[in-house]
Amino acid sequence: MNIQFKKGVLELCALALLTKKDCYGYELVNKISKSISISEGTIYPLLRRLKDDGYVKTYLQESSEGAPRKYYKLTEAGRKVEKELKEEWLVFVKKIKKFLEGGEKNE
Amino acid sequence: MNKNEFLDQLSANLKGISREDEQDILGDFAEHFKIGLEEGRTEEDLAASLGNPKVLAKQLRADILVKKAEEEASATNITRAVFASFGLGFFNLIFVLGPFIAIVAVLVSLFAAAIAVAASGIAGFFASIFGPLFPEYFSILVHQAVGIFGSIGVACLGVLFFIGDIYLAKILYKLFIRYIKFNLRIIKGRE
Repeated sequence: MNIQFKKGVLELCALALLTKKDCYGYELVNKISKSISISEGTIYPLLRRLKDDGYVKTYLQESSEGAPRKYYKLTEAGRKVEKELKEEWLVFVKKIKKFLEGGEKNE
Repeated sequence: MNKNEFLDQLSANLKGISREDEQDILGDFAEHFKIGLEEGRTEEDLAASLGNPKVLAKQLRADILVKKAEEEASATNITRAVFASFGLGFFNLIFVLGPFIAIVAVLVSLFAAAIAVAASGIAGFFASIFGPLFPEYFSILVHQAVGIFGSIGVACLGVLFFIGDIYLAKILYKLFIRYIKFNLRIIKGRE
């Protein structure tokens, strides 16, 4: 898949995962890289940016293995942005799909 | 590449950011390795799937320096942010450097113009006062009072012009930061 496509939706994917539950970095990387093949490291700069923009907050929590893990939690602003981005994305995909299918019929 | 090599390369390319930020970033990746190892992956496998630490470090560094320039406006901070974003690639170089040079050039010339206007007012003021004492060097065509008050007016105009330039510089600074941020988001380090 085209690299620009992936980068555009990476933010949405991270936000969408966080609407379900708070996650630690490795967990987010792991889940996202299962459906989108990217350099996994790219997610960390993205998470920092989301934090700077006030869309997520971080907190430390002990894990069963011992060392505390950094968890990411959506803020109210983050929830709002996720909703908007998701809506925009779905509308966009629907339009493109219609366009592509229409194109086939004309051929 | 193993874990330590990855973290070393990351750290080596994070120069110029605060210790706190650097520790935070290294901590995130150390945690990533730790959890991955617990899940039975190898250091080499984890490092390879994370990608090039140099590219990651440059991205993180540019983000942090731009944020710093946004929080504390200064010529040093903006210059650092601009240079950090060059490191990300050819397109950043063109799209950031071009406008940066243009903005700096416009501001420098506007400030120079303001200083020149103020200086000519001050020079005119002294010339109007002392000029008549040295008639062999100066030939002043207007009445002395007109010369004095006129040049005070010109000097004040220069000062106002200068203050206006400061406001303009502040506005352009903010706009330019927004522009760099936009740039970094669109052309994030290519893989």
